[in-house]
Amino acid sequence: MQNVIEREITINATKERIYDAIANPEKVVQWFPETLEGKYEVGEQPVIGFGEHGKGTIYIADAQPYHYFSYRWVPGANHFLGDVLSVPNTLVEFRIKELSEGQCKVILTESGFADLPVEVMEESFKQNSGGWDFMMNRLQEYFNEN
Amino acid sequence: MTEADIYKALGDPIRLEMVRRLANGAPHTIGELSQDLGVSRQGARKQLQVLVAADVVYLKQQGRETQVSLDTRTLQVARKFIAKLEQQWDARLTALKNIVEKDAGE
Repeated sequence: MQNVIEREITINATKERIYDAIANPEKVVQWFPETLEGKYEVGEQPVIGFGEHGKGTIYIADAQPYHYFSYRWVPGANHFLGDVLSVPNTLVEFRIKELSEGQCKVILTESGFADLPVEVMEESFKQNSGGWDFMMNRLQEYFNEN
Repeated sequence: MTEADIYKALGDPIRLEMVRRLANGAPHTIGELSQDLGVSRQGARKQLQVLVAADVVYLKQQGRETQVSLDTRTLQVARKFIAKLEQQWDARLTALKNIVEKDAGE
């Protein structure tokens, strides 16, 4: 049974710039959530918003410039508000590896699916499709602008 | 039957080991599946019932033996769920790449 998702992408930019896009609250809202409320710092639990698809609390687990950033959330459950650490959650990790000057690989892992109880999984299935639609809309907007 | 039930069914080391033994597609007898699991026959049987209830495996009477087989259709549902999450992350990472490379070009 698969407990971990791992994806990667090569980005033509420096590790500093990529890290900034992930860890800087003003930058992350340009590509991931639409809004961010609260402190986007290690140990804090800000709320990220996905427009009409709702809001969700995340727990910032670790931030190591310029190669690692991680947070915990209830996967797909964009409507979970509250203490993330008090409920079963998954760990999302971004790792930045420099391939050459100005080119990096970003490795994304999300782990902990096997430990999620049945109710959370069910909620997450319902809401994932919404999150997916939201993401597609954002991508579309981006391509229309450019 | 939802993906959630499948995950719940597989979220136990004994049950996972049973599924591993069946993973090559060949059916096993209940006796074979219950061997060397570190639990009693009765304990193994209980875990097997959970897998049956979740449609992860199905039982078939073969003479005096009961054969256990993997229900691959059910496992495909779980794979589809993971595939969907992977697609989501691919889309997010693509958005990240676009933003960062666009900024870098300015």
